[in-house]
Amino acid sequence: MAASAIQLAGMGEIVVARGSGVIGCIGLGSCVGTVLFDPTKQMAALAHVMLPEASAVDANAMPGKYATTAVPALLRLLDTPPAHASRLKAILVGGGELFKNRSQALRIGERNVETLHRLLRELRISVVFEQTRGSLGRSFEFDVATGLIRVRVVGTPPVEHNLAAALGMLRKAA
Amino acid sequence: MMNPLSELRADALRELGNIGLGGAVTALSDLTGVLFTLEAPQVLPVEGTQLPQVWQLAPESPVVGTISRITGDWPGEGTFLFPWDSACVLWQLLVQMQPNGLADLNELYQSVINEVSNIMLGNYLRAISQMTGFTLNMEPPAFAADMAMAVLSSVVVEAMYGQREVLAIETAFKTPHHQFTGYFLYLPEVGNLEKLFQVLGI
Repeated sequence: MAASAIQLAGMGEIVVARGSGVIGCIGLGSCVGTVLFDPTKQMAALAHVMLPEASAVDANAMPGKYATTAVPALLRLLDTPPAHASRLKAILVGGGELFKNRSQALRIGERNVETLHRLLRELRISVVFEQTRGSLGRSFEFDVATGLIRVRVVGTPPVEHNLAAALGMLRKAA
Repeated sequence: MMNPLSELRADALRELGNIGLGGAVTALSDLTGVLFTLEAPQVLPVEGTQLPQVWQLAPESPVVGTISRITGDWPGEGTFLFPWDSACVLWQLLVQMQPNGLADLNELYQSVINEVSNIMLGNYLRAISQMTGFTLNMEPPAFAADMAMAVLSSVVVEAMYGQREVLAIETAFKTPHHQFTGYFLYLPEVGNLEKLFQVLGI
């Protein structure tokens, strides 16, 4: 995973990779890095989701910012109509609550994760890898060519997972 | 996006940051017996993806911080952030010891940072209240220790909830006696800014 090849999605941004390339997010707190992967095209789109639902005024400003606008935007980028969305696989990282004992907590991380799960369930997209909730910040890099994901939390070495089988990429290995 | 603040109004917000944090660092100096001084405050719109530009910490470096919701006439979120080495300076000054990494961050160390935030924010709000006549209340600080970008983005998202734009009034404070930088960000609800400018007559 060469550093130069990584496309990072900043807050509210969306990045896409097809065939090869590494996509990821740095320093996810309550935000959720949401990857949709199409195994037939070996193509992935990633949104750095900040909030669960768009307010009416802001819905079109930055589709990646809200769960409710990010998921349809990812489908469009993958050229996948909702009726065919079940061929896609999802990866979710983030959605932590970093601040302890917050009075009147907004629980944004938790609500981001809940909203994304609901939207993906409605589209029959299965979540093949998830590291969400809890109290930790996270970074991750996902390699579209190999199906390897590397997740980092503060103060510990990165942990790598091979998602090739779960993502339906086994064809290549055969 | 956001209407650009006039220079006059941006100046007023910077001056408010100065006055508020002036009171706060005096309290910190009293608490620690070490002189702390302010850097010039910055007023920055946080638009969409953009975090305060001047905040130049490595995104995955460990920081310690607090967030407190402020209610009353000028509501918003107040947040203190300390890079790990700066937090260690505070712990050494106040309890004469420091944790051996994030895993060693027990209740005592957390309560030191919460108490510093509590005292500084209380003085910040008192100074602003004296200048404007505003009633301002704060909720107890909530604590986080994690990578810089994860903490800062969580603060921005909390402030962004329910509003389109976020404005950050950022002030850094230092001491000539130690390698230390602390950061204070006030993220006011932008919809309530008019009220402030009215009181200030601008």
